[in-house]
Amino acid sequence: MGYVAIKGGGRAIRGAEQALEALRTAEGEGGQPLALATIEQQLRLLTSRIVSEGGLYHPRLAALAIKQMQGDTLEAAFALRAYRSTKPRLLETPVQDTGRMRLIRRISSAFKDIPGGQMLGPTFDYALRLMRLDLAEESPQAFRGVARRFLAGAPDAELPDSFPKVVDALRAEGLLPPLAIHPEPAFDITREPLVFPVPRSAALATMARAETGSLLAIAYSNMRGYGDVHPTVAELRVGYLPVMLPHPVTGEPVEAGEVLLTECEIIAMYEGHGADGPPVFTLGYGACFGHNEVKAISMAILDRALQKGMRDGPNNPSEDPEFVLLHVDGVDSMGFASHYKMPHYVTFQSDMDRLRTTQDKAKARKKAEVEA
Amino acid sequence: MTPQTRHPRSAWPRLLSALPAAEVKQLAASLAADYTIEDLVIPQSGLGLLQLRDSALADAYFLGEIPIAQAHVRLTANNRQPAEGAARVLDDRAKLARAIAVLDAILAAPLAGAEAVAALLERGWQRIAAQEAERRGLLNATRVDFSLLGTDEDDDDV
Repeated sequence: MGYVAIKGGGRAIRGAEQALEALRTAEGEGGQPLALATIEQQLRLLTSRIVSEGGLYHPRLAALAIKQMQGDTLEAAFALRAYRSTKPRLLETPVQDTGRMRLIRRISSAFKDIPGGQMLGPTFDYALRLMRLDLAEESPQAFRGVARRFLAGAPDAELPDSFPKVVDALRAEGLLPPLAIHPEPAFDITREPLVFPVPRSAALATMARAETGSLLAIAYSNMRGYGDVHPTVAELRVGYLPVMLPHPVTGEPVEAGEVLLTECEIIAMYEGHGADGPPVFTLGYGACFGHNEVKAISMAILDRALQKGMRDGPNNPSEDPEFVLLHVDGVDSMGFASHYKMPHYVTFQSDMDRLRTTQDKAKARKKAEVEA
Repeated sequence: MTPQTRHPRSAWPRLLSALPAAEVKQLAASLAADYTIEDLVIPQSGLGLLQLRDSALADAYFLGEIPIAQAHVRLTANNRQPAEGAARVLDDRAKLARAIAVLDAILAAPLAGAEAVAALLERGWQRIAAQEAERRGLLNATRVDFSLLGTDEDDDDV
């Protein structure tokens, strides 16, 4: 093993920490420290990313991690994971029903008309990707009035508390396989190592806290041609899930709070169902903490690809559970890449010794060939 | 529900959590002075593993962890039956959970001070109602009818 304890450098390491702080505050006298509420609200999609990749729904601490790590998403997720490792596990929730989500966005690319209707909600989907130069000089007065004016002008028509899922309608029409509740307990990736083959619940949990770019890259490989998932978004939902826990006195479900989620089902090609059942569409499922649509869609595509790989064996990297699940965690992969910056003096010294020995042998062999 | 409030007990933690924590703790502290309070479970904060069921194949799985603070108390007053209250909230302040548990016991029994707790619930409900109205507005303002595509109608012209 090539690692070796080193000594010295303490002063430089402390200096490096101070240098980071100095750069964070380099704006100087005119600067204002970022308030956590400012990060949480104005950088809400970044905060969303950290709560999902950190695996802990705590937007305020995610905002703190973003501030502390100066916007580095991988380090911020790492900090949130480190925090969670210091806290005791008090409970596992009963299975929560995402059909009860209080939605702020709901779309389908499969149907124009879906029960309850489509609501675009907050999205960049139809916005021009042009720089809004007015934001560069945004005044506090203008800033404070935007939300108020929007809400004042919004129609206040009655809406249901929750909306039916599109896949339930498809299932009712016999276009999807019937749902069968599986009794297997969910796999806890925070306590159990991934030893393959792993159940699907382990795959879903791993992808739910995966790094967004990693999931997207592998899902993209499938979409581009290294796979056969040609997805249609049955439904993409963003909203707040009420978390119901049993009341310790009454045992009745009580709302403990709500969690912002993104959830997506994609429809893929149909195939035969069972021995003699009619063909039905296949589905992929994705979900994550916060508002992160690319992640939920990517996860749904990979879920569908992994279902095929688990059943028939993988034909592409995106269908291989071991390839996908061991390479999508941002904290793992960032840590591995970063560890190469740490002193490897002994291993490299060994490499140099072997190279010199090999060079000496090569020279001796060449000399012997010349002399012969 | 109790005679003091129209809100079911299952909604009390949500309504109280919508208010500034200082208000909740202040009311609990002022009412607690009239009772002997026993912690049946030590107030604690930690994490809960959030379990969902996927809507493709109905597998249960863990989405990730959530902060949880919980407390379970018994309140005893002279010549009264003891009353139990409890709280589990998505928060990491154990003291807030204990305050909600105290208010839960007072309102559920009900004990003296229940009216004040009910009034606080009502204020929490007003905040929740305002938040729900904002979300409703956001949905209504962005409702889209894609079925109009390809026809002569255009909602932008209306």
